[in-house]
Amino acid sequence: MEQFITSWLGSTPAFAIPLALASMGLVLCERAGVLNMGAEGYMALGAMTAAVLTLTLGNPAIGIAAAVLAGAALALIFGFAVVIMRCEQILAGLATMAVGLGIAGVVGRPYVHKSFEGLQPLDIPLLDQIPLLGRLLFNQDILVYLTVLIGVGLWFLLERTRAGLKIRAVGEDPASADVAGVQVQLQQLMAITASGALCGLAGAYLSVASSSVWVDNMVAGRGWIALALVVFARWDPLKALAGAFLFGAIEALLPRLQAIGVPAPIYLMNMLPYLFTIAVLLIAAWSGTKKGVEPAALGKPYVRQDRH
Amino acid sequence: MSSFRLTLERRQQVSTLRSTTTYILGLLLGLGFGLLVLLSAGAPAATLLDDLVIQVFFSAMGLAQTLTLAVPLILVGLAATSAMRLRFWNVGIEGQLWLGAIGATLVALSDFGSESLRLPTMLLASAIAGAAWIAVPLILKLRAGVNELVVTLLLSNVAYLLLQHLLFGAWKDPVNSFPVSPRFDENEQLASLGFGNLHSGIYVALGITLLMTILVQKSRTGFYVDVIGRNRTTALATGIPVTATITLMILLSGALAGLAGGLIVIGVEHRLTQTIGINTTFSGIVIAFIARFNPLAVLPTAIVLAGIYNAGGTLKVFYGIPDAIVVLIQGMVLLTLLMVQFFSSYRVSLLRQSAQQPGQPST
Amino acid sequence: MSQGSPLLTLSAIDKSFDIHRVLNSVSFELARGEVHALLGENGAGKSTLMNILIGVYSADAGKLELEGKPLKIGKPSDSARQGIGMVHQHFRLVDRLTLTENLLLAADDHPQLKSRAAAREALLNTAKEIGFTLNPDCQVGELSVAEKQRAEICKVLALGARILILDEPTAVLTDSEASSMLAAIRRMAESGRSIILITHKLREVVGFSHRVTIMRRGETVAAGLDTSDLSIEKISSLMMGSSSTSLSPDGIDSKKAPSNVQEHGPDLLAISHLNARRDDGAPALTDVSLRVRAGEILGLAGVGGNGQHELTELLSGIRSASSGSVMIDGADALGLSPRQRRKLGLRVIPADRMASALVSDLSIAANLSLTSVVSGRFGRLWLNRRRMQREAQASIEQHEIAGARPSGRMGLLSGGNAQKVLLAREIDSGMKLLLAHSPTRGLDIRASALVHQRLREAAAKGAACLLVSEDVEEIMALSDRICVISAGKIMGELPGDASAADIGRLILGHE
Repeated sequence: MEQFITSWLGSTPAFAIPLALASMGLVLCERAGVLNMGAEGYMALGAMTAAVLTLTLGNPAIGIAAAVLAGAALALIFGFAVVIMRCEQILAGLATMAVGLGIAGVVGRPYVHKSFEGLQPLDIPLLDQIPLLGRLLFNQDILVYLTVLIGVGLWFLLERTRAGLKIRAVGEDPASADVAGVQVQLQQLMAITASGALCGLAGAYLSVASSSVWVDNMVAGRGWIALALVVFARWDPLKALAGAFLFGAIEALLPRLQAIGVPAPIYLMNMLPYLFTIAVLLIAAWSGTKKGVEPAALGKPYVRQDRH
Repeated sequence: MSSFRLTLERRQQVSTLRSTTTYILGLLLGLGFGLLVLLSAGAPAATLLDDLVIQVFFSAMGLAQTLTLAVPLILVGLAATSAMRLRFWNVGIEGQLWLGAIGATLVALSDFGSESLRLPTMLLASAIAGAAWIAVPLILKLRAGVNELVVTLLLSNVAYLLLQHLLFGAWKDPVNSFPVSPRFDENEQLASLGFGNLHSGIYVALGITLLMTILVQKSRTGFYVDVIGRNRTTALATGIPVTATITLMILLSGALAGLAGGLIVIGVEHRLTQTIGINTTFSGIVIAFIARFNPLAVLPTAIVLAGIYNAGGTLKVFYGIPDAIVVLIQGMVLLTLLMVQFFSSYRVSLLRQSAQQPGQPST
Repeated sequence: MSQGSPLLTLSAIDKSFDIHRVLNSVSFELARGEVHALLGENGAGKSTLMNILIGVYSADAGKLELEGKPLKIGKPSDSARQGIGMVHQHFRLVDRLTLTENLLLAADDHPQLKSRAAAREALLNTAKEIGFTLNPDCQVGELSVAEKQRAEICKVLALGARILILDEPTAVLTDSEASSMLAAIRRMAESGRSIILITHKLREVVGFSHRVTIMRRGETVAAGLDTSDLSIEKISSLMMGSSSTSLSPDGIDSKKAPSNVQEHGPDLLAISHLNARRDDGAPALTDVSLRVRAGEILGLAGVGGNGQHELTELLSGIRSASSGSVMIDGADALGLSPRQRRKLGLRVIPADRMASALVSDLSIAANLSLTSVVSGRFGRLWLNRRRMQREAQASIEQHEIAGARPSGRMGLLSGGNAQKVLLAREIDSGMKLLLAHSPTRGLDIRASALVHQRLREAAAKGAACLLVSEDVEEIMALSDRICVISAGKIMGELPGDASAADIGRLILGHE
């Protein structure tokens, strides 16, 4: 039993990290008032870019860095569409998602199913032998630790710094932020680009860290789960991190249960995260706390000369 | 000494000429980008016309395949149209489609009802299952004000898991190593029209397009939809039955998506599989948007998109261009169309701020 | 006050929103250390002018000068850097941040305010200087309106504003809160700051300002008059543009048929003891009782934002009351849907016609036939579109709606013609009670005259008309009886031939 839990917890980050990175990116973006439906696309692009570069150059670090840049670049196109051209955010997000999926599919085609040497777990002797939590805490690759750092850093940025104050103000009330001298468009573009970068990193984790191969449909809806996770986490980066680990733990548990012969309806149990999220939405709507958390200007294009 | 700067203003009145021109230019620009992408992905320019147009629309087998692919696309295009005319974000068309497929399969596998009415029962079951699946976000929105965007999205994932649960469990065909359901009986399959794989579902799609067109353009409900979608306050203040109209149209949206799933399994696959309906939410929204939410225009748009999907298959076989290129082209066309709308919705003006010449009119 | 060079000069400012001209060669001048009242009705252009000064809007033409030097303002932070700050009617504070955080947000150009502690300190010091108390650590969303206002003033002053623009600072305050605010404004001026006070309340102008500028329909009608030379009556006649002054820019026909109060029929609208709340929960209407009889026009005068909006929404059925009763033609209407109220004969011309009566993206024919479609006149299941087009064409000809085709888009019509469409639709054979809220807002003189004529005809045909308007001249020109609303209460009733001064006194008469 102890063995089972140790290895279950140890494998949780592999499922949780992509969700955590993407949903924290989306939290940042939505806190700046931009609804970003493109995560699935940035992640696919990131996963493909990281895999292809790691395959050709043999260096996962370069692959990961390129994935971050690729995600950011695609997000910048989305940002140009919604912040400068004031496009409908949902439709523009879906379109960017398609562009990302499309590029990943087309460019990555020749590299499908070619496995490579990916990112390896850090070797921390002794500590990783601690029962239950040892593998979870001390036998992971560097991105896992980085993700936790990013989560804390993002929380600090949003809640404790003037830069974060500006981002939040733009998402809550762009007209007031504008009057206060905040450059609304710039803040939103930065938040969008950062969210693309984080989603690209999430994609890179999928291909370079957790599977060491690129296949079609590698992201498999994780971008959408990340989007739901933002709502589940009530727009808080730390809660998004925790939520991702919760969802990841469920995802990691099910194949293990099946493997040891527990007759669990894994597909039905996999529904739980989605049903949880819907329940959270419903509870929030009923208790009226939704107004207290969701960025008030989410999804609304800002034009200074509109009559506010 | 004078300085210039740009200011942006929302146009309060947009002429039909301006919006039509920007739309057409955007569509051409988007398709142009699509062509460039195709060429850069390795499609030979010399045979592009043949591959993209002649083979998929003007050869018998190609046209048959295009029309077969068009059947579900027409229905999901109408499903998206029905919801988006009311500004309801149904991004769970795939989920409703899968539920529809499950509904039809349930009737087939359980041999429900009399054999002579089996096919209509299956079609009805798929529509009802699709409508039931969208009823959840609809009720949550109307009763509790929960955002439909996230709920429709989440329920799509739930629907896919349900599909897998059935295909890997109770409905798995024991004689097949793939996760597929047993094959439907002959009387549970739509008649083939002897034209490639094309089945009588095309008549269903055509008939429903016509009905939707009449509903939208001729009926009182269609008029209500026009008002509610554009100005809800006016609709409420003038006594339009807002909730009833929304309920009707959104259930219809789910039913159409469900029917699309039903037609795929009844007409083409003849069994439930886990590969149907992928990306149909996005395609439905793209079709509806390009058709400018006009049901009649959904028909040619869906057929053209089906042709592109069909050509995508050819390009894959002959030139090794992955079919993801079709998704890429759709994304680029949609993004371009969205961006050019800027030029009809906003006015950008160059203001000259001049120190020496007070009161000079701006240019 | 007016000697020496002015601190701030705005000259010949023009501004249009898309095709709507809202400012027409407006000029304004501000001296050091003065309280300068900027007066005008809603829609006169005061807020637009001030938004140009602080860089929210950009002027199409004109010149801004500060201390004789050209003032270039491209965005709100430019004006803040020049020491110009505005306290908006809708406060420019982010609700979900604390007051300190709101100041911190604006501190880009103020290195000394960039730490939380320094910002907090600055707020407390400013508050102390002008005699306010405030809690800098409270979320703005949890403050009362009066607290938010004090908070925003402190924020703007802490950012170093020398010129402070206050947009109707007392409109949202109780009387005692208003008095202390006005005292604070005076203290701020005495400390060398210059104040632009946008207000409707003439008592405040006379009691607290040094000079007055009056705007009307996008133009300056009186620039920088010394307040000491003016009486309330004089200011009110300038502001309302009544025909006794030569400055009046328009000549709406103000004659009306002799009042025939005795001949009026039964009560078609009877409101009694009606109470309602605003969206933010504050009381909007308090114990309102009104009745309107068949064949008469009841004018409801008052400054905007005193419950008129809530009253019209409530009567048309899209807002609910907390208590009281509304009878339309003898039937209890409070529980009825908008559709059922229309069946009783209610017709509505709302203040913002494009937002809540018309659909700008639909055809003119669709807008003209909207309510008939609801009542089923063009068919229950299928619509007879051809008949709709035909009747729309007839309606367009009958009401002389210029430039309109039945299939043309509603949004392409001018304000006056759009109002004609609405009048043509609402004034039909089933009308018994007509509710018209600011029916001439934004219209030119000819269009206004036509609207007035339609209202008179409606009353002459036996309809009961409730005319809610901020335009006292309009009220005087049309009403058989006049009621005045202020702070959600009915202040009193006057006969139709009451003078502007009588009405003005009731509007002002809080006590």
